[in-house]
Amino acid sequence: MRVQISNGMFMAIIINMVYAKAIGITQGSLAREVGNDMWISTIFSTLQGIMMIVFVTYVIKRTPKMDIFEQSELLLGKIFSKIIALFFFIFFLFAFGGVSATFVYHLKDFFLPDAPLVLFIIAAFIMGVYGIFFGLEVIGRMALIGVFSIIALNVLIILGSLSEFRVEELEPIFESGFLSTLWASRHNDTDWLMATMMAAIILPHVGKQESWGKSGIVGIGLGGLFVVLWPILQTGVLTSEVTAQYFVACMQMARSAHIGLFLHRYELIMVAFFAISALIQIMMTFLCASIAVQRLFGLKDYRPVIVPVALILCGGGYCLVFDHQIAMDFLEKTWIYVALSIGFGVPLLLWLIGFLLKKKFKNTNMEASS
Amino acid sequence: MPDELELKLTSTFTFDIESNISLIREILGHSVDLVQRDFIFHQEKQIRGVLFYTDGLIDKEEINKALKTLINCSDEILSSCIGDRMGDELTKNIKTYLLNNVSVNQSNKVQDAIDGILSGDTAIIIDRTEQVIILSSRGADARSIEEPQTEQVVRGPRDGFTENIRTNTALVRRRIRDPQFRVESMKIGKKSKTDVNIAYLKGTVKEGLVEEVKKRLARIEIDAVIDSGYIEELIEDAPFSPFTTVQSTERPDKVASYIFEGRVAIFVDNSPFVLTAPAYFWQFLQASDDYYSRYMSGTFFRLMRYIAFIISLTLPSLYVLLISFHQEMIPTPLALTIASGREVIPFPVLLEALIMEISFELMREAGLRMPKPVGQAVSIVGSLVIGQAAVQAGVVSPFMVIIVALTGIASFAIPNYGASFSIRLIRFPLLIASGTLGLLGFASMFTIIAIHALSLRSFGESYLAPATPFKPSDQKDFLIRMPWWRMDTNAQLAEGEQYRLGEHQVPSPPPKGVDKEGDKGQKPPEKKKSDNENNPPSSKQSLVKIRRKKRKWGKKDET
Repeated sequence: MRVQISNGMFMAIIINMVYAKAIGITQGSLAREVGNDMWISTIFSTLQGIMMIVFVTYVIKRTPKMDIFEQSELLLGKIFSKIIALFFFIFFLFAFGGVSATFVYHLKDFFLPDAPLVLFIIAAFIMGVYGIFFGLEVIGRMALIGVFSIIALNVLIILGSLSEFRVEELEPIFESGFLSTLWASRHNDTDWLMATMMAAIILPHVGKQESWGKSGIVGIGLGGLFVVLWPILQTGVLTSEVTAQYFVACMQMARSAHIGLFLHRYELIMVAFFAISALIQIMMTFLCASIAVQRLFGLKDYRPVIVPVALILCGGGYCLVFDHQIAMDFLEKTWIYVALSIGFGVPLLLWLIGFLLKKKFKNTNMEASS
Repeated sequence: MPDELELKLTSTFTFDIESNISLIREILGHSVDLVQRDFIFHQEKQIRGVLFYTDGLIDKEEINKALKTLINCSDEILSSCIGDRMGDELTKNIKTYLLNNVSVNQSNKVQDAIDGILSGDTAIIIDRTEQVIILSSRGADARSIEEPQTEQVVRGPRDGFTENIRTNTALVRRRIRDPQFRVESMKIGKKSKTDVNIAYLKGTVKEGLVEEVKKRLARIEIDAVIDSGYIEELIEDAPFSPFTTVQSTERPDKVASYIFEGRVAIFVDNSPFVLTAPAYFWQFLQASDDYYSRYMSGTFFRLMRYIAFIISLTLPSLYVLLISFHQEMIPTPLALTIASGREVIPFPVLLEALIMEISFELMREAGLRMPKPVGQAVSIVGSLVIGQAAVQAGVVSPFMVIIVALTGIASFAIPNYGASFSIRLIRFPLLIASGTLGLLGFASMFTIIAIHALSLRSFGESYLAPATPFKPSDQKDFLIRMPWWRMDTNAQLAEGEQYRLGEHQVPSPPPKGVDKEGDKGQKPPEKKKSDNENNPPSSKQSLVKIRRKKRKWGKKDET
């Protein structure tokens, strides 16, 4: 029997899956490209994320008892399923680059600059492996706590920065032009694609099948709401020019926040809340990559591959975050190509093949219902 | 030798009283507290009889009464049923017509008689019959009902469990006068044969829970059970976890309320601590007072306990990580005060914290184990004299003393001793991780502890519910305690009736204009019929009506 998670947990996982990277590193990239319009770009990408989750849900719903690998096996056999699994593994391997950069740079650059880099990677490895060993349900419960932390973090940043918010900094709207702003949304699309690719794997574990679509839309909608607050505040308080100077823009924002004179620095508290979201990103990336490898090798359980997969991901992550410039180039170029091509391409390909081979779904669903 | 004993125990009595007496003597030996009282039964027929009981475990009045009846009134038994070899007719007659004690049983099994004698019952052996009468005469001296030592309340009942299992079940039974309340019995412990009772409310208890509890209890193979702690460790879900997944309590009111919520209680003879399952983490932070005081004070003190929990778990770790790694996060005036206090301290802050935490635990343990007056003296000497001297000597900083004292006080605010200990235990890895890796260590260790707690289950229930998984209906009694008139639904765990309150339970003053002399209570205002008849109800009113229609007292919503 499959592990079941509630629709609420599914939404919480989606929110946590995008939040940590989207508020920090992605906003820096957006600010460098479209300046003031980064918040509009974030809204555009949220809308694209909603469309994508609806599409992925539609694809998975054709065989609701099967995840994307099982569906691809049904359509074109085992070899095709393994190719899809390989694509998923590559996606999450590259995704971990961004995830590890988010985790490491937030803590190392702003709190522990003298600590060796490997320490952060080891911590991520231990927590990620420990978390996914207990499975999706535990991560789902953790994600619920993560959502409360995100809300707390957002409230704290509003309290600490609203007094310095200048609405005129947001103007003029569409300064870089509509199309450029829309095109820049690809940076944030990569974050949402992490959520949609994850959904393609975990949707069959979600309780109420009839509300999959609704849960996905609400998850991404709420996630977008929590995320878009940051570029608005960053533009209104820091200005887009300053935001563009930083790799981890949200930390600069958090550092400048203060409540009165006595609480002049409280980014530590904010990062403690932020850490839960970052860790859920790590866990879910490990989990999805492990499931992809499990399907690639035709194993019954993903647990035997957790450690090797985590080692590969952490190895890659370590090489990437070793140098800020390499990490930035990777996240603003390579990762975008990989994420967009696999994230949009694989569900589209499966939909197309499924469209051509409709009969297979009918037969399978009839067998399942009988 | 044990095989021989086993053989004797599984044998049955014979018609010869001598061999029966020697059999009991061989099994029980010649212990001074094993009393053998010979008598002549039925003076006309001159039949020999003997009583066996354990001195100190019995109620002498019961035995005197039975002996008097057996000696003086035995002639009333029909002589016709007395012969050379008597079946169970004689013992049946004695049981039915002669002995007027409350509980009398008969058996021909040696094991039953021995178990009875060792439990405080009296075995009556009569010549020429292979049946033994087992008379219930239990009456060992027991501690009277006193106020629980570990869970005291300001407002609420003062009675606590004792070491007598029957007294304990009675204390709960007094609070649950429902015919569906069940108490089932079993014995655990090969040598101790400890009585264990399982209590639950049929129809309310979660489906399958009683069977699961019985299954776990039945698989216990142990020589002796001295306290309910043995059972707790043998049935819990997470034996390697610092968190306790079975609650133990000395309070009958707590047990009764848990039973009403659909849980199972496990009573163990000779233990004043009753176990209840399943257990949620948050219930360890809730005190009985919360429900007996008004909801505002109940909520306030509950929130205080949550704060105490956070302080107890994280304060030393946060202090150490701030001082060691993230000094820039401390407001400048405060940082200067701390720095001036730490100027002469030769130890790193982590070591200082560990020394202080261990010293505090030592003082607490010493104070607990020593005789009360000495214990108090140790606490005073330890906390005041040594603390003051340590600060003056420059071994620890004044701030660290404050931190450790605050943490200690906060840990004592947690009402359950077991939970308080769990938190104290997990504080140490958190402290070490924070002291060595700063924020990274704190976040990592905290996450590992959180994942561990999230993965725990207690008898199939998620340990951290109703927080995660989120159960909306149980939020009324989680972080805050809603007023009783708002807690209208039963706990989600409970089966059967969904509503525990009737409608319109919110109290209100009598309406204006009611004749005070004739008023015997609160009268509802008279409905203005014309209003309802003339004006159709608004959409909101209609909704309220629909909700009320759906809700039938004591029934689950069909939806």
